[in-house]
Amino acid sequence: MKFKYSGYTGRYLWVDLTSGEVSKVPTGDWRAELYLGGSGFGTKILWDEVSASVDPFSPENRLIFATGPLTGTIWPTAGRLQVIGKSPLTGIYGDANSGGHFAPELKYAGYDMIIFQGRSEKPVYLWIEDDSAELRDASHLWGENTWETEKAIRQDHGDDQIRVASIGLAGENKVRFAAIMTSGRAAARAGMGAIMGSKNLKCIAVRGTKDVEVASDEFYDYAYEIQHQILANEYTPNTSRYGTPGLVTLMNEIGRFPTKNFQRGDFEYADEISAGVLEKEFLVRRTGCFACPIGCGRAAEVRNGPYKGTYTEGIEYETINSLGARALNRDMASILKGDQLCDSYGLDTISTGGVIAFAIECFENGIVTKEDTGGLEPKWGDPEVVLQLIEKIARREGIGDVLAEGVKRAAQKFGNGADYYAIHVKGMETSAQDPRAQQSYILGHITSTRGADHLKSFPCIDETGYVDAAVERYGRQYLPEIVDGVSTKYKPMVVKDGEEFGAIIDSAVVCKFGTQFPPCYYWPELAKGLSLATGMTLDVAKMKKIGERIYNLQRCFNVREGISRKDDTQPKRILMESGSKRAKGYSAGPLQEPMLDEYFELRKWDKKTGWPTREKLEELDLKDVADSLEKLNRLPNLQAVNHNR
Amino acid sequence: MGKRVVLKQNPPLTTCVGCRTCELACSYEHHKTFNPKKSRILIAQRERAINFPVVCAQCLKAPCMEVCPSKAIVRDSKTNAVVIREDLCDGCGACISSCPFKAIFMHPEKNIAIKCDLCGGDPSCVKHCPQSVLYYADVGV
Repeated sequence: MKFKYSGYTGRYLWVDLTSGEVSKVPTGDWRAELYLGGSGFGTKILWDEVSASVDPFSPENRLIFATGPLTGTIWPTAGRLQVIGKSPLTGIYGDANSGGHFAPELKYAGYDMIIFQGRSEKPVYLWIEDDSAELRDASHLWGENTWETEKAIRQDHGDDQIRVASIGLAGENKVRFAAIMTSGRAAARAGMGAIMGSKNLKCIAVRGTKDVEVASDEFYDYAYEIQHQILANEYTPNTSRYGTPGLVTLMNEIGRFPTKNFQRGDFEYADEISAGVLEKEFLVRRTGCFACPIGCGRAAEVRNGPYKGTYTEGIEYETINSLGARALNRDMASILKGDQLCDSYGLDTISTGGVIAFAIECFENGIVTKEDTGGLEPKWGDPEVVLQLIEKIARREGIGDVLAEGVKRAAQKFGNGADYYAIHVKGMETSAQDPRAQQSYILGHITSTRGADHLKSFPCIDETGYVDAAVERYGRQYLPEIVDGVSTKYKPMVVKDGEEFGAIIDSAVVCKFGTQFPPCYYWPELAKGLSLATGMTLDVAKMKKIGERIYNLQRCFNVREGISRKDDTQPKRILMESGSKRAKGYSAGPLQEPMLDEYFELRKWDKKTGWPTREKLEELDLKDVADSLEKLNRLPNLQAVNHNR
Repeated sequence: MGKRVVLKQNPPLTTCVGCRTCELACSYEHHKTFNPKKSRILIAQRERAINFPVVCAQCLKAPCMEVCPSKAIVRDSKTNAVVIREDLCDGCGACISSCPFKAIFMHPEKNIAIKCDLCGGDPSCVKHCPQSVLYYADVGV
């Protein structure tokens, strides 16, 4: 039977790796209506199927590869893949998003998503060719890096247009921040690759030849209009030319560029690892993801020196910071080498850089010794330290075995005050925004449902002050504070809006580029695009409700795991120490709690516990969720509190 | 000489980035659906991020036209494009193997060959290319 809405294939794949069974299941109209796609689909499945007792590495965890209604269409940036599972790094809701060409191919094969459960006895891969989908032996691929795995799959099947999502050594070794790679693009965060490893699933290979239909002919012209809106934005040309590395210089100037494990927000040698240097000395070619008009990707190579011959695709801002300034490493060639290693082994560069800087600081303070490191001296500013630690982590060798657990667990193991140097929220290493210099992130990092992450709320307008976008999106009445990076005023409103817009972006599924930054189009345009594609009547109010529903359900998943307001906190260093440049004199300590109060009020969540209220959940059609949280005593009992008075 | 769809680039900055928007535009323009398999332009993706379009050169002396046993391949009088008449094509595939550019494709559902027809003189791939590296130009073959 044909699915009620266009833009969907109307079915998904359900794969039980324990029994080897692969089934095709109808997507269900309700799922599209309530959860849209991508992140929304995954969130609902996790809530329904992965209870609090499930260890992320157990067969009972799910791993979901989801597309959205725009995936595979000509809508700008509609090529992204959303992967969802309970995170081995944080133990709570986890997801990761990747560009490339994998997600559209899955859609062309005729599937809205794939749900994996169970664990295979031996290494396998899922081979999908339109209606045929089967598990195949992957013993010969186990141990191969991600690029080689793709190459082998294409050779074996004699088709160079097969799209592959795979893990490398890091995923196989269950490094808790292992990534899933697709042609050098990473679904990096929260250890989704480690879940694949725990399930003995080496890769998914897909080839599809079917149509993706849209509801209205007008969609095609409207997508073209949006493409031009993106191309005409004043920030797009630089984003295309320099990619995210263009941020290095800009963020360094405002003290938002984490340096020396977040001791500072500016790096003395930032000029040596800037976009200009990348372009002049290393750039091979710009690259782009499926249907993207921006093309932020960079293919780069090292042409001389000790790392000569290094070639990597997709070097970006976060990696330059995490493998560079975070460890005081000013050697751009070594950063490219590190990026290449992380991509090959399938490692999240953000968390990898986070644990490396943590290890260096622990060594400096005598918490970790040469005995622990097997003779290696983790010192600041030594490129070889960064590269050797990457190898050790991917292989879980020596100290790498401890660092592969992430900074939170490693700090518990090291003891002696190591936790002060563990820069994370809820177990996830903090991404490259010093929140003291862009204070929307004081909140954004701690309310993110997957731990310290910039992409859930992605509040860009107070970064360097995007006045026009702020006025257009929120109104003139909030100027000037709303665009002031070192003001907390109005930021809870911006963060909440960003989280809900982001939930829709991750469910559509499109890129944060074009939507959040550059701020080219917003709720109304996305609502119109989704309506034209699906045939649903989605106005802004309906979309906001879906976004809020998804975000609340992610929070509820985390509440069920035991998360409450006490976990919504910046690490001690950020709370106590001052930032640098424009953040000089600012620490998050005095700012965090008032922001949280305001945020919980806006969300109608209980301020004391940070738990969503029944009132809010019922408003979002999540009565069953409220009921089950009540049974667990995780629903704020506001009436009882009032009654007792 | 005739006009055709060509790539003009100047890497590393001005380049085909491999976004395949052209494939989607072509598929929708001709078949009202999004399916790269129904596109008459294909972005070949090679190692080291090399992306380039595989699309008909509209040869003046076209091997496909010569080998077609059904005489289904004709020259469009307005654009000089080499076009396949769907009503005459029996899907034998002779044109596909004869094309030196591998720029003729089998339709994934119907038993016919498909190729670039220059959209009647306003190629949708050129119009939609966000990097502006596809041109509709007379470069001769």
